[in-house]
Amino acid sequence: MDSQIKKIHQQLVSKQITCTALVQEKLEVLKQNTHNSVNSLLDTLALDLAAKVDAKIANGETIGLLEGIPFGIKDVYMLQGTYTTASSDLLKNYKSSYTATAIQKLLDAGAIPLVKENCDSFGHGSSSENTIFGAVKNAVNPELVAGGSSGGSAVNVAKEYTVFSIGGDTGGSIRQPAGYNHIYGFKPTYGRISRFGLMAYASSTDCVGPLAKSLEDIRIVLNVMSGKDSKDQTSIASTEISEEAIATSPVKKVGYFKNFIESDAIDAQVKADFLASIEKLKAKGIAVKELDFFKSDILVSTYYTLAMAETASNLSRLDGTNYGNRIEAENLIETYAVTRSENFSEETKRRIVGGNQVLSQGFSDEIYLKGLALRDQISENFSKDFAAVDIILSPVTPSTPPKIGDSLKDPLAMYLSDAYTVGFSLGQLPTLTVPQGTSTGLQITAAKNNDELVLQFANFLKDTL
Amino acid sequence: MNKTMTVDILSSIKGAQPSESVNKLFDVIKNAVPTNNNAATNVNRNCVSVSDLREDVVIASSAMEKRFIIENFPNKKNGFLVVAKVIEG
Repeated sequence: MDSQIKKIHQQLVSKQITCTALVQEKLEVLKQNTHNSVNSLLDTLALDLAAKVDAKIANGETIGLLEGIPFGIKDVYMLQGTYTTASSDLLKNYKSSYTATAIQKLLDAGAIPLVKENCDSFGHGSSSENTIFGAVKNAVNPELVAGGSSGGSAVNVAKEYTVFSIGGDTGGSIRQPAGYNHIYGFKPTYGRISRFGLMAYASSTDCVGPLAKSLEDIRIVLNVMSGKDSKDQTSIASTEISEEAIATSPVKKVGYFKNFIESDAIDAQVKADFLASIEKLKAKGIAVKELDFFKSDILVSTYYTLAMAETASNLSRLDGTNYGNRIEAENLIETYAVTRSENFSEETKRRIVGGNQVLSQGFSDEIYLKGLALRDQISENFSKDFAAVDIILSPVTPSTPPKIGDSLKDPLAMYLSDAYTVGFSLGQLPTLTVPQGTSTGLQITAAKNNDELVLQFANFLKDTL
Repeated sequence: MNKTMTVDILSSIKGAQPSESVNKLFDVIKNAVPTNNNAATNVNRNCVSVSDLREDVVIASSAMEKRFIIENFPNKKNGFLVVAKVIEG
């Protein structure tokens, strides 16, 4: 698909449509949708901003490319004055007092926020069922899960309720729902986009990223949000990726992880489709190398050990005193405990308890520190791989989306379904889901800070697969 | 004094118990054999160098920011926001 942003920009500039009519139309479909993708609508704000864009156009003023473009925001980002619930009971009445840097940059560019989008509570899930707003239904087949945790964002983009949406990816939360709903979803290099104002899940892998129907829209939105931010000291400087730069691909060698494809867990069709994609690349003269990698259970266990430890720390502030819906009890300690016990979901509690287990004395050496050492090895492995190949290609998921309700019955199966996404998070690598190659798409990964190469190869794949 | 703290106390979650599913993940780590069991060589260095630290500045909250903070905790007593009792005996 071509850029929706550019198409709408042209329609606005040539006065084929008004921004107000566009925003009204999108708000209406969001309001009526039955996919549970919406936590709250930002109708007053959106219509006010749309009127300003229309006034500018009427006055003959030039508007920027993103000016008047409606977008969605996963409900874990601060936007001043809006509810930011993280799809949780604990924060269901919480109002952001400030705005996240990534969102502010989009506002500064004139984009119009329409909706805070449903997701797994605090990002804890791979299906968008762990939410107080009802399980998000897949855009293609509503009996199936939307994926997660940025499920509402993926569905809104896939159904064209939003032109693009901003998700958050800690272990696959943008890439997996993008794959399940047949759209693009990008997790940039860690630090390329400031995390300031993103509710922290696991700070060492949390990434801000766009979901969109076209690669060009991913590029446009990525450029606007990128950059070093003094409010997030892990953020990094980066250069803009131009449309011309991604028009051609310098990729000569592609690798894939043999054990991902030879695993018993992979669906036969996903495997066949992936291998067929590899053959098409070879036919185009691309050299393909099979790579050895860590076993899936090591990847998943390392990721969840570290993510749970970090979320236990990050969510300790949610005690009803610093943040959240307080439930009074006889003393402070009881107030904390009752507030957290009654307001956190079962999955969130499971992860907090797991995190405190691995951080506690006697277990940290055996599990947490060992997990850190394994992460180092995983990163070293990636460094060696990218000395041999330009790009690593992988399926997004081992199988197709499960039915709504199935993931909640078996948390271990849900954790293991993240096998193909979590490794790239641990490596902090730029990884893009493209809606091609298998029924849940393909992941394109490059070395750290090589985000441009990912987009170049994705552009090449558009005409190749 | 018994210094052992159970996960329900550590997590401030009543009746919390370790999960079987999560323990299975941890068992994989326990049984793994890293070639270099030394987390001090962490290659994911996200720390900021001393020369790149930001200035230590106090930024006053805007009136609007203050308003939303107060909205999140609306109880007031003698002009102060009421949070849970700070010190227990």
